[in-house]
Amino acid sequence: METSSPKPLIELKHVSHEYFVTQSENDLVLSDINLTVSEHETVVLLGPSGCGKSTLERIMAGLITPTRGEVYYKGKLLIGVSPGVSMVFQNFALFPWLTVRGNVLLPVGHLPAEEQQARLEKVLQTVGLGAYEYAYPRELSGGMKQRVGIARALIAEPEVLAMDEPFSALDVLTAETLRNEIGRLLADPNHPLRTMVMVTHNIVEAVYFATRIVVMASGPGRIDVIVPNSLPYPRDTDHPEFKKIVEQLHGILTHTTMPDTVPADTNKVVTTTTPDNRRRIAPVSLPYVNAAEVLGLMSLIGDEPQDLFDLAEKFGKEFGAVVRIVKAAELLGFVQTPGQDVQVTQLGRDLTNASTVDQKRIVREQLMKLKIFELLVRLIRVQENQCLPSEELIRELQAALPHEKPRPLFRTLLSWGRYAEIISLDQRRHVIRLYEAKGAGRTRLAAPLLPPAAPPAPPTDSPAPPPVPTEPSPSPGELPKS
Amino acid sequence: MDLVVLGGIVALFFGLSQITSEWRHPLNDTAPIDLSLSALPKYALFSFARGWIAYFFSFVFTVFVASWAFYDPRAHRYILPALDILQSIPVLGFLPGLTLTLVALFPHSNAGLELACVLAIFTGQVWNMVFSYYDSLRGTPGDFRMLGKLYNLNWWQRFWRLELPFGAQGLLYNSMVSMAAGWFFLSVCEAPPPINGVSLRVPGLGSYIQAATDSGDTRAKIFGMIAMGIVIIVVDRLIWWPLVVWSRKFKLDDFGGSRAPRNPIQLWLARSLAVQAIGTAWNALANKILGPAIPPSAATSLVEPGAPLPERSRVGRTVYAVFVWALIGLLTWGCYSLVALLRSVKLGDWEEIIADTGFSFLRVLAAVLIGTIWTVPLGVWIGLNPKLSNRLQPFIQFAASFPSPMLYPWLVAVILFVHGTLQTGAVLLILFGTQWYILFNVAASAAAIPNDIISCAAILRLSGWTRWSKFLIPAILPGLVTGWITAAGGAWNATIVSEIVQIGSTTYKATGLGAYITNASNANNFSKLTAAVIVMAVVVVAINRVLWKRLQNLANDRCRFMT
Repeated sequence: METSSPKPLIELKHVSHEYFVTQSENDLVLSDINLTVSEHETVVLLGPSGCGKSTLERIMAGLITPTRGEVYYKGKLLIGVSPGVSMVFQNFALFPWLTVRGNVLLPVGHLPAEEQQARLEKVLQTVGLGAYEYAYPRELSGGMKQRVGIARALIAEPEVLAMDEPFSALDVLTAETLRNEIGRLLADPNHPLRTMVMVTHNIVEAVYFATRIVVMASGPGRIDVIVPNSLPYPRDTDHPEFKKIVEQLHGILTHTTMPDTVPADTNKVVTTTTPDNRRRIAPVSLPYVNAAEVLGLMSLIGDEPQDLFDLAEKFGKEFGAVVRIVKAAELLGFVQTPGQDVQVTQLGRDLTNASTVDQKRIVREQLMKLKIFELLVRLIRVQENQCLPSEELIRELQAALPHEKPRPLFRTLLSWGRYAEIISLDQRRHVIRLYEAKGAGRTRLAAPLLPPAAPPAPPTDSPAPPPVPTEPSPSPGELPKS
Repeated sequence: MDLVVLGGIVALFFGLSQITSEWRHPLNDTAPIDLSLSALPKYALFSFARGWIAYFFSFVFTVFVASWAFYDPRAHRYILPALDILQSIPVLGFLPGLTLTLVALFPHSNAGLELACVLAIFTGQVWNMVFSYYDSLRGTPGDFRMLGKLYNLNWWQRFWRLELPFGAQGLLYNSMVSMAAGWFFLSVCEAPPPINGVSLRVPGLGSYIQAATDSGDTRAKIFGMIAMGIVIIVVDRLIWWPLVVWSRKFKLDDFGGSRAPRNPIQLWLARSLAVQAIGTAWNALANKILGPAIPPSAATSLVEPGAPLPERSRVGRTVYAVFVWALIGLLTWGCYSLVALLRSVKLGDWEEIIADTGFSFLRVLAAVLIGTIWTVPLGVWIGLNPKLSNRLQPFIQFAASFPSPMLYPWLVAVILFVHGTLQTGAVLLILFGTQWYILFNVAASAAAIPNDIISCAAILRLSGWTRWSKFLIPAILPGLVTGWITAAGGAWNATIVSEIVQIGSTTYKATGLGAYITNASNANNFSKLTAAVIVMAVVVVAINRVLWKRLQNLANDRCRFMT
């Protein structure tokens, strides 16, 4: 579209960013990002939640100074807040005690009064808020609030408009209207604003706006692929070319967030003789979801293979959230994910048809195949009184999985372990014990620790002998029926 | 109607001129108190002004210290624990020493006495305000901070446009609590227990009532108390109440404040031309003073690649370093002189102090216990009846605000009537200063029990002891513990004024740490006084750490309703 070569506006060079957690613990959110935003471009940062896309956008605006790397604006090194960038926030960030007028005029207080007034009228016309000048934000609907947010960003006449999930807090219909209006703004060659950086997790939204789509991957946040999109504005979401790009992004995101290789590795048993060894060969983490979500997925999914993105739509959930649930289900052997399809396994079908007690048993058996639960049980066993303090588990998790956030992982582990009756947590003392069923039918949970006789999941490499000897006392009720 | 507003302003200026002339008055150890009724408004005004001057300092201190703790992570680690300790120190114990020092500093004017009084009130007001403001600084939503950065607000603009509005509600609530505590200290510090045999006095309602008591003028005594009550009501209705209504606009959630009750007075205020004019003028003035935020420009935030980075100004850092070192130096010197002072305290004195602490401890315990026994059932009953609690809340607030030392002469009369002594009777005096906090907090937390839980308890037919032990007591426990902490802190302070009471020429005494402190200051024995005050501070802090803090954590951990 652009005839002359586009001038670079924002350049990121080897940008990395860490959040300080504690003295010894830092959270790497962005790793070695190189990206250029040129004039008359709309760059959309797309990725699952937690991939650092919002942080990246704030770094571009100069609101966050990256721990490493440089940001250039128009060829000069950026050392403070960028002079040409305005921002629109997901949750509007309007001052409740200022009227629409007061909120919108905030960034131009240094201009002469007439100029302020002229700009205000123009910008309120643009976003369709002419009649709301003296309204307070609380009187406005979500869509109207975001219009105020956009007006406040536009009144400064920025060179770059940065938007952080601007439509996520709105209902579907309002978001659609507002999207169309912004789309028209971008298509209007007379409007001065021609450069935009937008953060979103919505693929259609990305394709609708972007001239380039930057797909990001998480853990730590990095750029996966950049997809160019040269469709002319205004764009038609039903156009075959449009759908083709959406499909392409579906494929990329599936691959980024759910590589087909991961599940195969998880059943590999790692020999853990020395603590040193354990730290080097890390167990795979559990996605941060709970049992009810996975069971819900299993009962809703049906027998036919389903497209991941259709599922997300069907559940009305964010794509990244659905991916997490599917990943957890896959880790436990309940589904397989060839490409971007989700296919229920035989075990998954058994699970759906099982009684509540049997469901717990199946989940327990599957969990006990994971390294991370093996680690957990072993940690409890080596305690003198078989009580593992919570903080100690958090420390161990941090050492074993340095790239994961220890506390969310701890909570996830606990929620699964308690659901499956592997462990119990004493909240009064903050210690974790192995679960012992009350009553005669069951004794200390030991059966799943022994390599189960005939679970449906494919037994991969030869299982190493359990590191801690266990009392061989499986009660009859515990043995899996084949 | 606009005349009322105007009249208020004129009265304010007149009062100010009166107060300044009083401050420049030459030192007057025992200010003669005019017991006639016509003098009362003047004394009320003096007391009122003292309370507000102290509040002004409290406010400035709050903003400064809380911001310091928030923005400087290194200082943060020391400031918060330090505040926590300062909060639990019995201020009244320091009052005699403070008064003597300040009077010595200003030997030729009343300023020293006045300053001591204001300082005492200040220390009674300030701590909870600091904690509240610090919390609201931490709670300011990140997006708004980003916005402030984006518009390049300087610290002054950030404070007015961002931090103060977000902190307004919490700060206001705590200001009301602080002011109530302030009246207590005011009533004591205007006519402190005699120091070195000399009764120092500053004119005000506290000293008026003391003088009336000394001279046995019952009529003046009653009218003095009525005047105090009027001051409290006026402050509550004319200052706090409009501010509370106004501060609702700073509520962040959109739905809470949207249906703010519009009563006729508010509408009248909103439409009054004078108020509107003041509002407009105020806005214009504020905008002028604050100035617009200058957006970031290429000159300030961009440098040529390869060019050296601009150096930050060093002035601020130097000033800060000097300030911190001065503070450290002062602390060191303070510790040194303290140790020197304490060396002269004999072993026998320490033994006496410890024994007296035991007596006072028992009294505090008894006061808290008695307070709990009668206020918990009443508080729960009030809290569970919304109508009743709306109607009674102002009265409880009033009772909590009313400075109990003004009631002491009456209470002592009651004790003597039943042939009691102050030895046990002091518990009653302490009780009157502290029970309201328990009642207040219990009623508030009972009112906050979710309806579902109440229905559930009713369906389960909980009754009698089960109802209390399984439902009501756990449900109100967080509030009850807060009430206990406040009450116990107040009780230790109250021992200082209630274990030794002078009425007319008769002095009633009880054995206890409070009486010991008062005696030491009366005898001008500075080392004994310091030792006793330190023991009291240590005991209070230790009890806080060992008992209250743990209880509070436990209550908040287990007995808090999720919202």
